[in-house]
Amino acid sequence: MKFHIIAAKDLKIILRDRNALLMMFLVPMLIISVSGLALGGNYEQNIRISVLVVDLDNDEVSRGLVEFLEEIDILDVDMESNEFAARDRVKNKEYGRLIIIPPGFTESVMMGQDTDLLIIVNPTEESSNTVLQKIVEGYASRISTNVVVVKTVAAYGIPVYTEEQILEIVDTAEEFIQPPPVEVTIESTTSNLVEFTPFTQYVPGFAVMFLMFTTVQIGSISLIKEHEAGTLRRLVTAPISRAEIIGGKIASTFIRGFVQLTVLIYFGHVVFGLDLGSDILALFVLIAAVTMASTGLGLLVAVLVKTADQADSVSLLLVMIMSAVGGSWWPLFIEPQFMQDMAQFTITAWAMEGFYDLLYFDLGLAGILREVGVLVFMMIIFFGIAISRFKFE
Amino acid sequence: MAVAVNSDVIITVENLVKRYNSHTAVDGVSFEINRGEIFGLLGPNGAGKSTIISILCCLLEPTRGRVVIDGSDIRKNANNIKKIIGVVPQEISLYPTLTARENLAFYGKIYGLSGRALNTRVEALLDMVGLTDRADDLLVGYSGGMKRRINIAAALLHEPRILYLDEPTTGVDPQSRRRIYDTIQDLNRQGMTVLLTTHQMEDAEKLCHRIAIMDKGKLIALDTQKGLLELVGKSDLIHVLAPEILPGPVESIKRMPNVQKVSLDEGNMTIQLLRGRESLVGIIDILTSSGTQVESIYIKEPDLETLFLHLTGTMLRG
Repeated sequence: MKFHIIAAKDLKIILRDRNALLMMFLVPMLIISVSGLALGGNYEQNIRISVLVVDLDNDEVSRGLVEFLEEIDILDVDMESNEFAARDRVKNKEYGRLIIIPPGFTESVMMGQDTDLLIIVNPTEESSNTVLQKIVEGYASRISTNVVVVKTVAAYGIPVYTEEQILEIVDTAEEFIQPPPVEVTIESTTSNLVEFTPFTQYVPGFAVMFLMFTTVQIGSISLIKEHEAGTLRRLVTAPISRAEIIGGKIASTFIRGFVQLTVLIYFGHVVFGLDLGSDILALFVLIAAVTMASTGLGLLVAVLVKTADQADSVSLLLVMIMSAVGGSWWPLFIEPQFMQDMAQFTITAWAMEGFYDLLYFDLGLAGILREVGVLVFMMIIFFGIAISRFKFE
Repeated sequence: MAVAVNSDVIITVENLVKRYNSHTAVDGVSFEINRGEIFGLLGPNGAGKSTIISILCCLLEPTRGRVVIDGSDIRKNANNIKKIIGVVPQEISLYPTLTARENLAFYGKIYGLSGRALNTRVEALLDMVGLTDRADDLLVGYSGGMKRRINIAAALLHEPRILYLDEPTTGVDPQSRRRIYDTIQDLNRQGMTVLLTTHQMEDAEKLCHRIAIMDKGKLIALDTQKGLLELVGKSDLIHVLAPEILPGPVESIKRMPNVQKVSLDEGNMTIQLLRGRESLVGIIDILTSSGTQVESIYIKEPDLETLFLHLTGTMLRG
């Protein structure tokens, strides 16, 4: 295989290109810094979510959930003892969201039985509802470990009756899954959400936007320039397969993008204290998925246009639209519903959802499987169309 | 001219056809190239030369016909063929922000060279094209001629048996052109077979053992230069340059006894005729008496340009 020779050559060329390096690293760092510092106040004032909680269980696990919600800065939690009164208050729009913890919730969790948490929402406040849903899902994911463990033990015919026994088994199970015996883990949620700072938005937001410039814009132009300069033609006349040539181009673009996105996220962590979550592996998986999808889009652009100038314009347009609609410039969940629906067709939106899940909700690998799945699907579609239409001559 | 030509054939092209939708770029071309020969494909832009080169280097599939290179059919053994050919494209197919040495090392690795063998080969080629002292400069700072020399060197890393050169001297200064000629002739002396396409007569005349003349996708003549020139006999060419040439004097010139062909291209008139010097005064008389403002007029001995006009009725450079 010779694709690495082409990838290494491309990387050497980019390392010599001072303008490209500035656009990859310095410019996004400056924009992240300026945006985050300038618009910080807006985030602190704007994001407040009021929620009413009815705890019909009032036992250890349910009280733990209430405490967990109360510790989250952006939530204003109020309690109501009467379920019907609580429903009325939501109906009267006094509260936008209501969480009902059913009776026997703690016992069900402890005994390994399935149970439900009911969230009633006012549909006009979609963005706040999404945030609350993510928060509760994160907590549910954590306590679901208990259910899984107890069910597993019961499946082997060992009777479990006392709370002490259950806690002992859960502790033992947690010892075995830390570190996880396999990469996928359901034990990924920390007990507290971090603060949603402007950098939670702008670090991944602008990092993804500038990644797109690298992979879609520079990536497509680089390929078309090889075409225009005749170097691609020359490579095809050498004893190297077309798959190796394309593979080399994809590999170099992917490596550039992966390094860029990693550096920019790490920059946010080191300089602005951006929380990276507890699952670094999941972060790398997400970065890889976003980079692959956008690399695929770059290849597709290179195939669909004829000249480097066209690639430049089309890429710029695509990146700007995806960044605006997909949530690079402002949180996706504050966009109106029709824009959120449109955003589902962009790489940026799925990337940002994934970053929110990891950097803010700390849902770990299990929490980003859907986003990664969609990004991989996009990658397959983009590469599939691009490679089938690729012309070497 | 270079070494005596071996008789055995290294490239066979039979009834080659290449179509793009309704356009036929190559139309039933057949020829053979002998081992150790410098073979030229001469013709104007769009004659089909580059398409033939693209097919011969396995870049394009022919629509019809057969091509065999050193015993391998291009449809069946493209990979074997790619190992024995070196291709010098018309454009500078190099990376301007890499040095000459890095460019050559990159292509060397693509051809499977590595380590000391790669380094030795790169140094030898830099020496051959006379650019060892500039080897570590970025190509972006090279002159056009220097880039062309590296462009040729990049095709020689794997010591190919056959070298294809597509318009190797386009846009180069006379000094670099001479250097390129020397390089091609040196390689040929070492036994390399060379196929070059060109629309420059000088390339074909100075380098090629045999020349195939192409026009509109067809091969219209194939022979040594001497053999080809015998086709035109003793015709001369008279070139006239004027801002405007009216039909009247053109018709009068056509009726002159020794005139064989007259072609017009805007303000250029080319007259093919026998014993040109004897008719020159008469032609000037016709032009001046008709009020044509002649800017220049000159006479040329028979050459490949004359031949091309003789065969096609148009100028090669047109």
